[in-house]
Amino acid sequence: MGTRIEAASALTGHGLRKPTARRLADAATRTCLAQAGKEPGDVDMLINTGIYREDNMGEPALAALIQEDIRANPGQPPIGGRGTFSFDLLNGICGVISAIQLESGLLRSGVIRLGAIVASDVDPNPKNPRAAFLRPTGGAMLLGWDDSLAGFTDFYMETFPEYEGLFMSGLVWQERHGHRVPQRATGQHQMVIEEKPGYQARLADCAEEVIRRFLRRLGMGLDEIDLLVPAPSSADFLDTLRARLGVPSDRVAYITEDLEGAYTTGPIAALQAAIRSGRLGEARNTLMLAAGAGITVALALYRQTPP
Amino acid sequence: MAEIRSKQPDHWLALESPSSGGSWGCRIESVGVKLPALRLTTKDLMNRTNHRTRIQLERLTGIHERHVVGPGENSFTLATGAARDCLGHSQHQASDIQMLISTSITRSKGRSSQSFEPPLSLYVKQAIGATQAMNFDLSNACAGMLTGVFVLQDLITRGEISCGMVVSGEYISHLNWNAAQQIRSLFSKQLASLTLGDAGAAVIVERAPDGSGIDVIGFTTLAEHSRLCLAFPSTVGPGAQMYTKSRKLQKVAIDDMAPLVGEAIGEAGIDLADIDYLIPHQTSARAIRAGTEEFARRLGAKPKHVVVNLEEYGNTSSTTLFVALHKYLEEQRIHKGDRVMLLALASGIEIGIAIFTIDSQADHYGHTH
Repeated sequence: MGTRIEAASALTGHGLRKPTARRLADAATRTCLAQAGKEPGDVDMLINTGIYREDNMGEPALAALIQEDIRANPGQPPIGGRGTFSFDLLNGICGVISAIQLESGLLRSGVIRLGAIVASDVDPNPKNPRAAFLRPTGGAMLLGWDDSLAGFTDFYMETFPEYEGLFMSGLVWQERHGHRVPQRATGQHQMVIEEKPGYQARLADCAEEVIRRFLRRLGMGLDEIDLLVPAPSSADFLDTLRARLGVPSDRVAYITEDLEGAYTTGPIAALQAAIRSGRLGEARNTLMLAAGAGITVALALYRQTPP
Repeated sequence: MAEIRSKQPDHWLALESPSSGGSWGCRIESVGVKLPALRLTTKDLMNRTNHRTRIQLERLTGIHERHVVGPGENSFTLATGAARDCLGHSQHQASDIQMLISTSITRSKGRSSQSFEPPLSLYVKQAIGATQAMNFDLSNACAGMLTGVFVLQDLITRGEISCGMVVSGEYISHLNWNAAQQIRSLFSKQLASLTLGDAGAAVIVERAPDGSGIDVIGFTTLAEHSRLCLAFPSTVGPGAQMYTKSRKLQKVAIDDMAPLVGEAIGEAGIDLADIDYLIPHQTSARAIRAGTEEFARRLGAKPKHVVVNLEEYGNTSSTTLFVALHKYLEEQRIHKGDRVMLLALASGIEIGIAIFTIDSQADHYGHTH
């Protein structure tokens, strides 16, 4: 018995009038629900793990707006019905795996029956397209319970704070001066993102170290991992890691070209590729991997049968 | 790991209780607070508005003053100070913490008025020496800290971890200053921004030694009201601006909260009169009084005491519940055996309820008085 991946869907901004983080998440969640044959009201918990938004809204959680948009039990509580609980979880590219760990536990406890995890990002500096480091994408996945599947059995996360300065982002206040500045708008918050040279290489170093440590703890060899579902998908990171681990490319879920540059959506995009190719269903042991700022490396092991 | 899945009856709340089937109990082991030394009275704040407002804010809200940060203080320093205070009241070492969740809405650190990556939780765990802990940030407006406790409760009752910390540092007094530039009347949507104060709070949640602990903890999001309170980066000064439809929010909260409180106390098998201390989210004394009266009318009982600490702290956002709990523990007004209900209300709108009984944690407070 374990947590089952019911569906995963990732998309780019194509087809949307103006891709915003909320609209991307809404569209991905609706698509995902349709794929799984579920209704919005079936979702007991909705965790948003996206980071970069057009408005950098501080509150409420974006998850609440998405819940309202898709009409997942948004109204007044009736006696005896089931509601939806939504919040945001922020852990960069690793956020999806952290959210899977939480929802998997709540499914195991029986507190929830269906969990949604959504992610989306848009370019945080649209006025400076040369500074873009991500492609606007949105993704959603659904988790349920399956009595015939081992599902997610093990999670692991490690941080390497000695590299925390290699990738940093935040809003910085900048005064505006000049006669054309409206009286009320004396400045603006600018998103500042700093990626230092060597970041991608260190990501690969840390990911390799953590994967080997994780598998050693479980008493497993790399040859027992039938499918690696990684994020990010950049060649700098992934090719280096794959070469170091000696994992052949046919055991890696590569995302489609249109989703290259996905940020927090990356793990969902890779999962979608694994599902579409049929390999997720064939693999006995699938390892989800995410590596991002911190440096943080998060892993989740998904099994067809118990060890 | 033991298979503990149980079939739960339908609840509107996502609800955790002993009937969730966990193998272990889970309890709040210690609470810590960090308050900045500087204080700002409501009178001084209202004297610094750009327009003559005629708002009698202190009379309206019950807030006499609030703590505000000084130079070098921000969300990170408040969170870290609270985490250290929490460890000071705890039997745990930092190295015992297996998961650390930062739930600040504001995440100011260094030159960033809002840091995004790495998560603030990474910096906090490094600062206090909880280096081996898993960490992430969680954002759920003013319900963030209780949401963090909800998350830890599940991990602990299933035996995945045995000790975790939730921490928040809210440097939100910039909303006071940004609102003061623009507010003109009682009907301004920025009125609630003038009630805010700065504070850090932390809580350690652990496996309960005897299988006791938190009786019930539950949450829901009534998302059709998600736009009643919105906060964005400011354009008139560093920090944020918040726009709240306060009257509507209060009405919705009172209407919708009563059946949810009924659901939680029903799950705990108690009556509202069995609650010794109700600690609600601190918005305004008038709103808390009105809410309590309505609960009493609808649920046929009222708690023995309702905690209001607005006079000296104001609304400290995600930290309010634990700042209040800490104060009552420190002043030895809550005693071993008292049953407490924490009631979170936040933008979203989020409603969270936790019911637990004070046990040995009371022994670690009050020695400074």
